[in-house]
Amino acid sequence: MVGNTITIWWIVPIIASLLLSAAAFIWMAVRLGGGKKKGKNKNGSVEDAAEKDVEHIFNDDFREELRNRGRLHFEKIIGENAMFLQQDLRLTTSQLNDYMKDEITKKLQEEFKKYEESITDAKQMAIDSIEKTNAAVDEQRQTLSQQLKSQTNEQKARLIKEFENNMADIINHYVLSAIGKQIDLSDQLEYILSDLEANKQAIVEDMQSGV
Amino acid sequence: MASSDTKVVARGLLPPIVVTPTDVIDLRREVEALDEFMHQTSLRRGGQAMSIPKLSHSLEEVVKLNNLNLLNTTDRQQLLTFLKELKDSAPVVHISFAADPSSAFMAKIIGWFRENAHPQALIQIGLQPSIAAGCMVRTENKVFDFSLRKRFEEKRQILMDKLNESFKS
Repeated sequence: MVGNTITIWWIVPIIASLLLSAAAFIWMAVRLGGGKKKGKNKNGSVEDAAEKDVEHIFNDDFREELRNRGRLHFEKIIGENAMFLQQDLRLTTSQLNDYMKDEITKKLQEEFKKYEESITDAKQMAIDSIEKTNAAVDEQRQTLSQQLKSQTNEQKARLIKEFENNMADIINHYVLSAIGKQIDLSDQLEYILSDLEANKQAIVEDMQSGV
Repeated sequence: MASSDTKVVARGLLPPIVVTPTDVIDLRREVEALDEFMHQTSLRRGGQAMSIPKLSHSLEEVVKLNNLNLLNTTDRQQLLTFLKELKDSAPVVHISFAADPSSAFMAKIIGWFRENAHPQALIQIGLQPSIAAGCMVRTENKVFDFSLRKRFEEKRQILMDKLNESFKS
């Protein structure tokens, strides 16, 4: 910023000197041309004599010489100032580049810092969310595990109870499947008769009551 | 003679071969057919050939056991009356077995019932393969389960104790 201010203070006097030189040259040319016309309008021989002297001193050659000198001086000043201007422009451009570079770097660093902070915040949020999710999943898993264990125990108890209740049917079915075809009815006659004999009174009473 | 025959039939002796109510119905149908044949024979003209229908083994046994003469109309009528009463009022016991019993087996079973419960008892045989062994007896108002399944149920505690012992060991 300081370098930029210095550059502007250098450019201002250069441009001012250029403008003053140009104004002096124009004024001189107008003065020389205007004085000739004004001299004609004024009366008097003094004026004519002065005019003649002036014309004698500032003849065409001298004017041409002055013009050439002024032109050369002007060109020189223009060339020098152009060179200074070019140098200043280069310097300004370089400083501007540096300034822009610094500003951009600074901005980029700030943005990167903000971006990094955002990333860090997002990362932290994601970590928190994952931790919460993990905790919820663990809790859910534990609950499900307990429920599953409870249901398994209930199912096991129910199966055992059902097995105990229907054990006679299960074994009967097993016996029937295993040796059902080998069981001869004639071999059971003694057992059947003994069962009938054991329940003889009840059977006879019920048959007698029916009759 | 007629009164003595009536007494015999009234006692209602049945051979072991006659077991089920269906047997009684078949016997009655056979006696009716025989009676109809005899009636037709009495109406026949002389010189026509006739052949007595062959009696079934069951009917022969019944006639033999009750000392009946099927050529005698009164005996046939008494036998028909007896079979009708038997069908209508004889005590019927339903017995289910796991398999179809043989005739000899059923003869012993029906013999026990006629000896101990009622001399004219009949048995309706049923098949129930799920009972595996033993039988199920159903009288007028009661059911007696003599099946293997019932035995298992009665002895369930013994089986449970054995299972527990085996699990512990």
